[in-house]
Amino acid sequence: MKVSGFKWLFGKNSEFWPTNMKTGMWAWVGHRLTGVLLVVYVFLHLSFLSQASLDHLSFDELMAKMAQPLFVFFDFLLVCAVIYHAMNGLRVVLFDLGIGIRKQKLVFWIMMAISAAMVAAGFWAISVLIFGGD
Amino acid sequence: MSDKRIATSKVAGTWAWAMQRLTAVLLIVLLGIHIWASHFADIDPEETITVAGVEARLDQVLFVVVDYSLLAMVLFHGLNGARTVLFDFDIFAKRKKMIDVALWVLGIATLIWGIVVLFPFIGVGGW
Repeated sequence: MKVSGFKWLFGKNSEFWPTNMKTGMWAWVGHRLTGVLLVVYVFLHLSFLSQASLDHLSFDELMAKMAQPLFVFFDFLLVCAVIYHAMNGLRVVLFDLGIGIRKQKLVFWIMMAISAAMVAAGFWAISVLIFGGD
Repeated sequence: MSDKRIATSKVAGTWAWAMQRLTAVLLIVLLGIHIWASHFADIDPEETITVAGVEARLDQVLFVVVDYSLLAMVLFHGLNGARTVLFDFDIFAKRKKMIDVALWVLGIATLIWGIVVLFPFIGVGGW
């Protein structure tokens, strides 16, 4: 199939139009979006760590800034992206091993249930830093 | 799009496919250790990250090994993933060799950068 321009991506006839997408497609789109986000984060992570090479004090100050509730909330979103990507990725690995392909929707929802539990645990661990202690 | 995806998997190659799965599973384990060690183990969660704190963790060779392995694998997995995404677009799939070279250069350069980035915490290099 010849793909020219971006018509395949947008519009009601696109397979990516929300009402045209089914479970497997949503899983795939989510995997790509979180994947791209996580690659960007790795570079951000390294650039923040680079601050320590310049001056220890400025690194400590930067980390103190990152401990503010808003940035900790971004950390929580990052954790959500990691958990989704990891659990859906595990689903892909299972399929490649020949496990569960015929029940792909069920496997997706099982993985999402596990993800939800992990996100809840993550939120519980992180919430102290967002809403304060006590 | 469905024909294209089959073609894409051939473009990407079996070696890259196998490595992507292997690093995926290892990353789950290593990332678990990394997040646990840097934010939860023996640490008051309300304590902010400091050079001194990271230094204390990286005094243990195990965590240096974990962090560097994580770096190498995350770069492979992330950039190989980006490669798969790029190859879904004709303009990049047509320039496979160029993309491969560019991603290897970016990956190795970033690996070196990432190795150097931890020196202040490990104490190597005199900082």
